[in-house]
Amino acid sequence: MPRRFLTAEDVRRAGSGPLEVSSETLVTPHARQVAEELGVRLVTGGGDWAPGPPDRGPDAEGARRTLPHLPEPDGDDTEGSVIVTAVGLNRPGVLAELTGVLSEVGASIGDVSQRMIEGFFHMVLIVNIPQGCDFGELKKKLECLGGTDDYAVNVMHERAFRFMHRV
Amino acid sequence: MSFTEREILETIRMVALETLDIRTTTLGINLLDCADPDIEATCEKIYAKIVHHGEALVSVADSIAADYGVPIVNKRIAVTPISWVAAACGSKDLVPLARALDLAASEVGVDFIGGFSAYVHKGFTRADDAVFSSIPQALAETERVCASVSLGSTRAGINMDAVARFSDIILDTASRTAASGGLGCAKLVCFCNAVEDNPFVAGAHLGVGEAETVLNVGVSGPGVIRSALERLGSEKDLVAVAETVKRTAFKVTRIGELVGREAARRLGTSFGIVDVSLAPTPEIGDSVSDILEMIGVDRTGAPGTIAALALLTDAVKKGGAMASSAVGGLSGAFIPVSEDQGMISAVKDGALSLATLTGMTSVCSVGLDMVAVPGDTSASMLTGIIADEMAIGMVNQKTTAVRIIPVPGKGPGETVEWGGLLGTAIVQDPGSYAADIFHARGGRIPAPLQGYKN
Repeated sequence: MPRRFLTAEDVRRAGSGPLEVSSETLVTPHARQVAEELGVRLVTGGGDWAPGPPDRGPDAEGARRTLPHLPEPDGDDTEGSVIVTAVGLNRPGVLAELTGVLSEVGASIGDVSQRMIEGFFHMVLIVNIPQGCDFGELKKKLECLGGTDDYAVNVMHERAFRFMHRV
Repeated sequence: MSFTEREILETIRMVALETLDIRTTTLGINLLDCADPDIEATCEKIYAKIVHHGEALVSVADSIAADYGVPIVNKRIAVTPISWVAAACGSKDLVPLARALDLAASEVGVDFIGGFSAYVHKGFTRADDAVFSSIPQALAETERVCASVSLGSTRAGINMDAVARFSDIILDTASRTAASGGLGCAKLVCFCNAVEDNPFVAGAHLGVGEAETVLNVGVSGPGVIRSALERLGSEKDLVAVAETVKRTAFKVTRIGELVGREAARRLGTSFGIVDVSLAPTPEIGDSVSDILEMIGVDRTGAPGTIAALALLTDAVKKGGAMASSAVGGLSGAFIPVSEDQGMISAVKDGALSLATLTGMTSVCSVGLDMVAVPGDTSASMLTGIIADEMAIGMVNQKTTAVRIIPVPGKGPGETVEWGGLLGTAIVQDPGSYAADIFHARGGRIPAPLQGYKN
């Protein structure tokens, strides 16, 4: 069975030749530093050793298989879309500003609704964003629209709403 | 549209106005394989393993917060109780291990790491003894390390030798961190019926029955529940109150379930539990005390407070249980005095005494939490307070805890500012009678009949 860790002391004990390290062994940062200082080459299967992804344990292997397939609340036709809400003082051009940013990334609007409550508009857009669109970037652009005395935009994945309001 | 406008705006309102957030995503990391006869090698392995597993935690949590629009306030790490890891090295001074934990926590960017811990509810191993001796200096020297000890359980009874020793440790920790108002004690907690998958500090640790790594989530949302009750109004009866809390807790927990699944998936680890706890912060409106007053007691601490808290804790659990198949941890309502604006003000106004607070712990999810007492409180007084709390947990088969801070140089009624999440406290008066003989007797309070369940 390969060792769990390779420590600085293990490197010192090993001498100056190349030191074979299993891909399952966690080489401590201190051991790497000592290996470099002593000129000890760490090798795995003939090539230079490189840190691998963390071994999260046997339960994690099962979780990687099951987690993506857990039953999800039913979302009908909105699954995968993004919900954009805007609230603020009513003035011309708000919808155009929002849809302008959305069209720049090639997003299509699945549904839109707006209502006025006591002089403030509440707008909800259900938006389908194309594959490869950077969600974070789009969110930032949309949420930068409006201002403190104008209107506020909020962008969230529909999955958050689905988990909260559907079983 | 699949969602009604009302549903969409409700979610937005919860996040934007009612401080709905995920209080913590806590990655549990098993450190048992770091045991080594050499303490320096143990430190080296601990540091390496935590950094290796934890380095993606903060970025994953931040990316989920951005995608789903729900803030994830804290990212934390819970590790195997250090006494089990340190047993092989035989060292009596385990402060170097605390330094290694602190360094690793700082490297991965988490604000706290829990697990400088020992289970001594039945007795001490050599390593448990070393953990106890090392706690005061470990907490004084490190910034992010939290320590916890298990002093009792329904199955084992209460180890009163350990309780008495823990009282001395509290006083020692307070004196070593006197310059910051005894702040070291805010990172120190004792438990009866300790919970092995608790994601909340100071008591977070990864129990021996847990997986190699596991992602646990703690949700919050006192502000959301308070607002829901405000909308319900004061004319509706208590069944309507319970129903409103339950429905709201369901929605809050669903967000925890979503974040837990997603964080575990993105980290490539297993999803442990959602801790459905109402965890207040010093922020206005994010208060469990406000909920109790919304339910109908004049001030928190007035007669009716314990009953209102019982209703609240139970309804939160029921709503949470429907929302996730993985409810665990402490789950219920926290009542950390200094972290809850409403409780601070109730103490200030003389509405909430230490006695009522103790009563409240019999129905909340944890115990006496973030309670400040005078710096000259005796060890025997602390033993009495801790033993009372442990007994409530032992007999009621629930988790209870004590996180108490003797504030050096301060007396009853004085104020201490810890800042940040830890908030402000008014030093409470524990009274003038202690439990000297009880403290000196030592031994064990035998397990109650309800512990003999086989």
